[in-house]
Amino acid sequence: MTGTGPPLDDRPSGTGPAEPEEPIWRRDFPYTTAGEDEVTRREFVRYMVLGSGAFALGTVGVAGLTSLREPARGEPRPVVERGRLRPGEAYLFRYPSEDDPAILLLRPDGELRAFNQKCTHLGCVVYLDADADELVCPCHEGGFSATTGDVLYGPPERPLPRIAVEVRDGLVWAVGVEDG
Amino acid sequence: MAEGTEVGGVHEPRRPGRGPSPASAIGVYVIVLIVLQIFLLTVAIDAYHEARAGLAWGAAATSVALAASAGALVWLLAER
Repeated sequence: MTGTGPPLDDRPSGTGPAEPEEPIWRRDFPYTTAGEDEVTRREFVRYMVLGSGAFALGTVGVAGLTSLREPARGEPRPVVERGRLRPGEAYLFRYPSEDDPAILLLRPDGELRAFNQKCTHLGCVVYLDADADELVCPCHEGGFSATTGDVLYGPPERPLPRIAVEVRDGLVWAVGVEDG
Repeated sequence: MAEGTEVGGVHEPRRPGRGPSPASAIGVYVIVLIVLQIFLLTVAIDAYHEARAGLAWGAAATSVALAASAGALVWLLAER
């Protein structure tokens, strides 16, 4: 009997390196077993490690963006007439942007102080407790000095960012956010 | 005390291949690692909002070290 039938492997010869393809028996027997397509434990671990690497890259990216982000210092602008302020009272305004609440204080000794009004713990707005002469955060009972903005008690760990102010022609001007 | 289980008064010996394997342990380790990575990413995002670059880079360095150590551990186990 001569071999006149089709060859077992009907791939054209001389077409370069053999590409990984399914074995011949699978074409003749095209059935899969249950669980054949499931991810093995080893593959699962590999995917998770790759995921971990992706998270690490994402964290590095966020850190890079943080380095590029310059904290807003603000442009000088008038806040309020000096004559409208009374000693021991607070005046609320927004600086350096409309999204940044700030608080201006005229101290009993006549000094002007201004701070960002957002608590450095979790961002609640602080208010002036005139009796205690403190800036108090009502959310978690944090307290800041009304003179320096330093933390007096509670969960905050950083002082309130201070805003430089000066009086020009009877107007109180905010001239920039100082480094903490 | 001999290993195995007591079922209906009959002592069933511990069969080989049953119970936790090293692959299961490494799987649990890597899952914990992913949880840590998510935590570190939230720390970095929080640092971004507060403009604290030092904290963000600290979280990033820890994250990279964790990912590298996990990869090295899996590679070492695969080599054995």
